[in-house]
Amino acid sequence: MAMKRTFLMAAGATLMLTAGFVASRAQDPAPQDLPADPADQQLPVSDPICTFFGPDRNRFVPTRNSPDGMLTQQVALRLASADAVMRAAAVAGAIPSAPGGSRTDTIQHPSENTIDKYIFPALAAANVAPAPPTTDFEFIRRVTLDLTGRIPQAADVVAFVNDPSLNKRAALVDNLLASPNWVDKWTVWFADLYQNNSRNTQVVRYIQGVTGFNTYIRSSLGANKPYDQMAREIIGAQGANSYTQGELNFLVGGLVTGGPVQDIFDQQTANTVQTFLGISHMNCLLCHNGRGHLDALSLWGYETTRQRAWGMSSFMSHTDTLRTSVTGAVNGQPYYWGLSDNTRYKTDYALNTQTGNRPARGATNSRTTVPPAYIFDGTGPNPGENYRAALARKITSDFQFARATVNYVWEYFFTAGIVSPSNQFDPMRLDPDNPPSNCPSPSNPCTLQPSNPRLLNALAQDFINNNYDLKSLMREIVNSQAYQLSSRYNGAWDPNTQNLFGRKLVRRLWSEEIHDAIAQSSGVIPTYNNAVWGPVSWAMHLPEPLATPDGNGGRVASFLDAFLRGNRDDQARRPDGSITQALDLMNDNFVMSRIQPKGAAGSLLVKSLPLPDDQLVNTLFLTVLSRYPTSAEMSAALANLKTNRTQEAQNLLWSLYNKVDFVFNY
Amino acid sequence: MEHPHIRKDRSEEFARKYPHHHETFLVRPHWTRRRFFQVAGAGLAGSYLATKANASGPIITSQGMTTKNTAKNCIFILLTGAISVVDTFDLKVTNGVTPANFNPTLVNGINWPMGLLPKLGAQLPNLSIVRSMSSWALVHSLAQTWTQIGRNPAAALGNIAPNIGSVVAIEKDPLRTPSQVFPTFVALNSPSGAGEGYFQAAYAPFRLSEPGGTSNAGIPNAANPNGQTTFSIMSSRLHQYDDALRINSPYGQALDDYSAFYMAAQGMMYNPAVQQAFGFASADSTRYGSSSFGNACLAAKQILAANQGTRFIQITYGSWDMHQDIYGLQNPRGNNLYTMSPALDNGVSALLGDLQSTGLLNETLVVMVGEFGRTPRISAAGGRDHYLIQSDVFAGAGIQGGRTLGVTSSDGATVTDYGWNGSGTTGPRYVRPEDVESTIYSAMGIDWTTIRYDDPFHRGFEYVPFASQGAYGPVNELWG
Repeated sequence: MAMKRTFLMAAGATLMLTAGFVASRAQDPAPQDLPADPADQQLPVSDPICTFFGPDRNRFVPTRNSPDGMLTQQVALRLASADAVMRAAAVAGAIPSAPGGSRTDTIQHPSENTIDKYIFPALAAANVAPAPPTTDFEFIRRVTLDLTGRIPQAADVVAFVNDPSLNKRAALVDNLLASPNWVDKWTVWFADLYQNNSRNTQVVRYIQGVTGFNTYIRSSLGANKPYDQMAREIIGAQGANSYTQGELNFLVGGLVTGGPVQDIFDQQTANTVQTFLGISHMNCLLCHNGRGHLDALSLWGYETTRQRAWGMSSFMSHTDTLRTSVTGAVNGQPYYWGLSDNTRYKTDYALNTQTGNRPARGATNSRTTVPPAYIFDGTGPNPGENYRAALARKITSDFQFARATVNYVWEYFFTAGIVSPSNQFDPMRLDPDNPPSNCPSPSNPCTLQPSNPRLLNALAQDFINNNYDLKSLMREIVNSQAYQLSSRYNGAWDPNTQNLFGRKLVRRLWSEEIHDAIAQSSGVIPTYNNAVWGPVSWAMHLPEPLATPDGNGGRVASFLDAFLRGNRDDQARRPDGSITQALDLMNDNFVMSRIQPKGAAGSLLVKSLPLPDDQLVNTLFLTVLSRYPTSAEMSAALANLKTNRTQEAQNLLWSLYNKVDFVFNY
Repeated sequence: MEHPHIRKDRSEEFARKYPHHHETFLVRPHWTRRRFFQVAGAGLAGSYLATKANASGPIITSQGMTTKNTAKNCIFILLTGAISVVDTFDLKVTNGVTPANFNPTLVNGINWPMGLLPKLGAQLPNLSIVRSMSSWALVHSLAQTWTQIGRNPAAALGNIAPNIGSVVAIEKDPLRTPSQVFPTFVALNSPSGAGEGYFQAAYAPFRLSEPGGTSNAGIPNAANPNGQTTFSIMSSRLHQYDDALRINSPYGQALDDYSAFYMAAQGMMYNPAVQQAFGFASADSTRYGSSSFGNACLAAKQILAANQGTRFIQITYGSWDMHQDIYGLQNPRGNNLYTMSPALDNGVSALLGDLQSTGLLNETLVVMVGEFGRTPRISAAGGRDHYLIQSDVFAGAGIQGGRTLGVTSSDGATVTDYGWNGSGTTGPRYVRPEDVESTIYSAMGIDWTTIRYDDPFHRGFEYVPFASQGAYGPVNELWG
């Protein structure tokens, strides 16, 4: 309790500062008279139009529980008039100068949000001040990208910022979660997680299999299917045709050539445990005991033997992964896959291999087969129960299933997992009421693994209580004050404290997001015709990252590849930068063709050029960057536009697509 | 070829007898656990370059092997689809099968198809051919990846293992000077080759298909369509509008790092060195055979001659997967040895000749290898199917040319003499992709027993699997 009190005092000090700015702003509208904030070395505010990045940015920030209700009221009154101007302008089709103000809604503090109940006390305990809250501009861009993979429309940004309602952020979140773009984005996210691709080094699914799996994910998300049900359907899937029964494709991905069938059971088990329980060390344990290998990584891994791993793999041991050529196939190709239980394989996991991709499996204690046994409690299937149905039941009723899932989702929204890496859970280091101690080996990790174990458990419990509802989980995350902290930080940032989540970490936009943001904002929407999966306009609608919209070696395909969309096999989706990305954003036809002053009639630049200079600048900024220009940006742009206006407008738009706040979600 | 078998040999027995084991980083005296997490923490901080800056140093261990260190550069030519070695590098003349116009000729005591690969035949004094090579698997994509990462893609860390070239890039990165603007690892005509694995994107292959092509700059998007004058204005505008966010960025180090990639990219734009190395004169292209593969060989030579920081160049050339009609008896214009070989012959011979005349061959290791071999016996379809035994070809970097290592039976079906002593204590055995990988590292002065502990599983990434126990190692016999 003492810690909590300290935190509230610190937070209170911050509130006083905020209130101070609001007060002086309200009483004295001349911005140059504002007191300079020495801690904020960013863009100086010299122009009333442009306040987004300066110390005055606090106007765009939630007022929280202002100790002075009068101030809030004054601001609200002022905003109401600005809002009327904005709405009128929006109707007229032109975006006027920046409004004089912004936020009015009030976030409850202290928050009832589960996340905030654990994050802010942890920050206070570590004496780390949280970053300031996001402005409305920051928030709408961030949450729209995170939930739907798109940047917001300019009109939506303006309407949101000027919406005086108190719960507008939560309302925006609800709208985004209900939008079809949410299904698009999260179909790709889950297809990444499930490694849904047409071919990898081991198995060919064909594009029909990929599409089948996407269709399954898409319809499940669209119907808001509880996630435990999805997991049961995927783990327990039985059927003959992976084209028409998409969920078969997950376990098909465990096919391994060049070895005995146990190699396939093992890989299917490893994939299942990593995906649904977050424990990639299962793969190691299917080759050898953890001791001597995982000592320093996982206490559970250290304690676990290959024998026990075989018990887990034995749940797959009655499954035949078999392929069938389609009618009219040439040389047996193409083919689809099926999963069939108790047909070809009817005995349990056999210890009789000498060659293949994993070390030999030999009889131990004269035991030549291993019966299915859940690795954490040794229990097997119920009498007569299908092995994989039993495994699916055990996994989805395991608290670790909820914990691993919320951590994967958390990692996406916060750029780092509460357990990180998110696929390396150590089950023996998760319970805050029973932390590891007296570890058997001096090299064992002997501390709790999650950066905030009670938060992780509470999130998992909420997920269960909400019937494994993915939208509820995401709503809980993005409505938290923690998620809504700025990525801008006042003062010196210590990277060692990042696991406390006191600051939002930026992420580079996905390949598909960059493509779609350029297409959407430029107003030049491409159409990719493809006999199998086309026509498609949005990269988020492509069936897989291997898909080449303009053919093999095509420039759009290269553009997408440059942003490291991965292959869902040995190349994960990556946030890294590269020289190629810079060359492409600066010079590629995908960008250059969309910033032509004599381009398509509906394009952003062609539509904006007739506007007065300040409206032109505002429109480009709002449409591409979802914010108004700063005063420095505005004055620079206005000065540049005085000569060679058309060329300078193009230069401005080109610069916006190359700005770091376009490429990143911040 | 649905269920390829895997041959056992002594290295496999070795691996079973001495199961994978390494000391964890925690017991190593000179770098503490705390130091480890400091380094790892820097990588987690969302910084593109923090890990790069810390990449070499205390999280690396090795056995301290003595390397050959004769190569500054490596050109790795992957013949995808698997070339038939009994028709080329290990020619076996079969009456009624081998076409007469192959013109088998003894050169330096090596039986060579002078009718098929005449110019390469003239380069035999530079070539050392290893005939005791054996692949591990007979699935194309699997074995191709295996060849490029030097390990089983299905084994531990296989799915995050970097390309050999990325390992070279991370090792050689500290030698770069500020004026060198080319990427360390360039992959020509290799759009789907193995990538950087878990390494940073800075060590990824800089992929370039059809070098030269229609762009006089050679590299896609190294010039702006609006022209250089306009581009320089645009670029200055970008700085004007964005420096406040990309230099000492208020949003964090990642944005500064992204800006650094822009600076590197602009260093490659309108740079005469880039245009000279990646574009070329048509006369040179003709000399290299006027093919996409030949142009890649030409670009490789020019890239190395530019001395702009590139150390490893991969070139991929396929498809050699000739299950039917390998001699073009049914369809002379189809995919057969006659249609595929001229580009190989012209490109590689011109490359070796130019490297030699410029003195670069002495410091450049050239490796040419397929993912496996093809059956010595011709099939009913007039083709050759997949086979484990193959040959690979080495040149440059002080290796002894004009000879072969290893002997195969008269039909090419088995290896009768391995021609090398194996690694560690394994004794003579097949040369494996892991050994080729070790040979490249040794030639380039990289300890092939290196283990780095920055892999995402914190398991310890061995540059060559099991190498610290001697299971694999360089073919030192190549140097005589």
